[in-house]
Amino acid sequence: MTELAIRGLSKRFGEVAAVDGFELRIGDHELVSLLGPSGCGKTTTLRCIAGFEEPTAGRILFDGRDVVGLPPERRNIGMVFQNYALFPHMTVRRNLAFGLEMRGVPKNETAERIARVLETVQLGDLGERYPRQLSGGQQQRIALARAMVVEPSILLLDEPLANLDAKLREEMRFFVRSLQKRVGITTVYVTHDQAEAMVISDRIVVMFDGRIHQVGAPDEIYSRPVSREVASFIGLSNFVEGRVQGRSGDNGEFRLSTAVGPLRCTYSGTLGEGRKVALIVRPEAVSLSAAAPADAADAAAPADAGGNAVPGRVSERYFLGNVTGYRIACAGGLVLQVQDDPWAAFGVGDEVRCAFDAAHTWIIPD
Amino acid sequence: MTNPGEVRSIGAGPPGRPPAGGRRWNPTLFLILPTAGLLFAFLVFPYLNMVVMSFRNPSTSQVFAPGFTVGNYLDAILDSDLYYLEILWDTMVLGAVTTAICLALGFPVAYHLARTSSRFKSVLYAFVLSPLLVGVVVRCYGWIIILGNNDGLVNTLLMDLGIVDSPMTLMYNTFGVGVGLVHIFLPFMILPLLGAIQSIDPALEEAARSLGASRFRTMLRVVLPLSLPGVQAGTVLVFVLTISSYVIPILLGGFSVMIMPTLVVQQLMDAMLWPFGAALAFILSIAGGVVVYVYFRLTSRAIRGIA
Repeated sequence: MTELAIRGLSKRFGEVAAVDGFELRIGDHELVSLLGPSGCGKTTTLRCIAGFEEPTAGRILFDGRDVVGLPPERRNIGMVFQNYALFPHMTVRRNLAFGLEMRGVPKNETAERIARVLETVQLGDLGERYPRQLSGGQQQRIALARAMVVEPSILLLDEPLANLDAKLREEMRFFVRSLQKRVGITTVYVTHDQAEAMVISDRIVVMFDGRIHQVGAPDEIYSRPVSREVASFIGLSNFVEGRVQGRSGDNGEFRLSTAVGPLRCTYSGTLGEGRKVALIVRPEAVSLSAAAPADAADAAAPADAGGNAVPGRVSERYFLGNVTGYRIACAGGLVLQVQDDPWAAFGVGDEVRCAFDAAHTWIIPD
Repeated sequence: MTNPGEVRSIGAGPPGRPPAGGRRWNPTLFLILPTAGLLFAFLVFPYLNMVVMSFRNPSTSQVFAPGFTVGNYLDAILDSDLYYLEILWDTMVLGAVTTAICLALGFPVAYHLARTSSRFKSVLYAFVLSPLLVGVVVRCYGWIIILGNNDGLVNTLLMDLGIVDSPMTLMYNTFGVGVGLVHIFLPFMILPLLGAIQSIDPALEEAARSLGASRFRTMLRVVLPLSLPGVQAGTVLVFVLTISSYVIPILLGGFSVMIMPTLVVQQLMDAMLWPFGAALAFILSIAGGVVVYVYFRLTSRAIRGIA
């Protein structure tokens, strides 16, 4: 299969840099998501790879061969569009045959490959239908089949599930994922939906304002974000502002002084003393317990190693089904978002103790 | 439950649902009455009058003589020299050729206009519409200045540059008429095409490109088929306008380019043969109608096949 390398890709539209210094290597069989809010440059990047946009600078290499300047039809890509872009004047079969016909594949082989790909997307009996006679989910799968039947070197998907309803979207994530793994095709997947990126990707590229903020596996992006933007875009995060006091031991643990007292947290890099940082902790990493009267004095010096405890008062409580969400007002105006098990029965106004382990925190230097 | 003119009272019956007892006619139909009245008074009634006229007996001293005949039609169709049928044929050919040229010239313009993101888009629109902004007569005189057979702009230029020795015949022939017709009717081709192409999702073209189709094949296999409704509308419009045009052929062709409208006016105004002129006018109408009908049937089948 094909390895995709993007080197120093930039795309300007007039004064605006839509993509700026994009660097990435995508290995064979790998599915990489470009994730970010709208206008972050993810779609522009994809369109540069496809050949619909000419980069202002940089190189795009398919197996070491620079494709910049090649028109889309000569890049051997497969692309799935957000609105599917099925040809409305052709039946499903003719939609699927289109790419093969352009490649001069003989008729009998075309029929064979179409039958096979229809089988793969589990729509074997819909060949004679027109796109308008298909449901959204079926159209989506035909669009996927049309892109894959030409056996492209690289598969590009531009928000392919965005137009499906929530239930179907979740099913299709797994479908796309397993299909991609089975075929083993190098894939770039553009989405603004972090949950979708998490489920589907081998690696995620998080982009803001045309720049890559972080590249990593989903769990890495989630638990060790490199910037506030990444941390707040992916999942919910609590930020606790503070200053580094020093290391505690050599297991990557740091002591911070914050508005709610000293906290311990984990970081892999080096941090100078006095450095302004933000500690992040995810709502589900915090557990609540009733504040014993003695705790109030105790909280400033948590007993167990690596543990943090912050006293606070429940200011809001909301039921989410699988978890219960709380907003806890703590000292210094800090509001912690906490997700605890749905059976924990704290009410608004209750004094609580928010405990979280240093291992479940991360630091973002300012 | 309701009378025809009655406004459905608020609160009577479930909202948003028509009252039981079937559909009553919509009061907004009154709004088309002025147009319908105008059409009847100034189109249908004169037409009927012309139909009657075409069956009148000809007369040299009056508009028509008493009694009715089909002789006018027979004279036109059975003429031994095929003079009138030949003119009818020439008219249809002129219509078809003008239409084809308008389509060939108009399609690329419509495509680019539909797809451009230029901030001068509105200026470009104005350019397309510009032939409609000045009267037909004025524009024809413009062409006369350019095409004039002896001292026209083109001939003067070509002779001064030594490219030709003697002036070319650029007008008072079919070429000159064709130039005028194409120029003036081009917007009627571009506008329907523009609408049709604008309604085609640009992602379809990108999908075709991503599947390996060149720009040209994308145009041929995706854009053109999907714009057929616009092609149909534009071609019919230009064809009908061309075969019924009078001013342009007269001004740029003189009487050396004889087509049906010129002939009809000649019969009515110069020869004062009202019944015969009316018959010729109807022969043109019917022939044009048949051509358009057959064309519509054929192209509609094609559109159903692709859409």
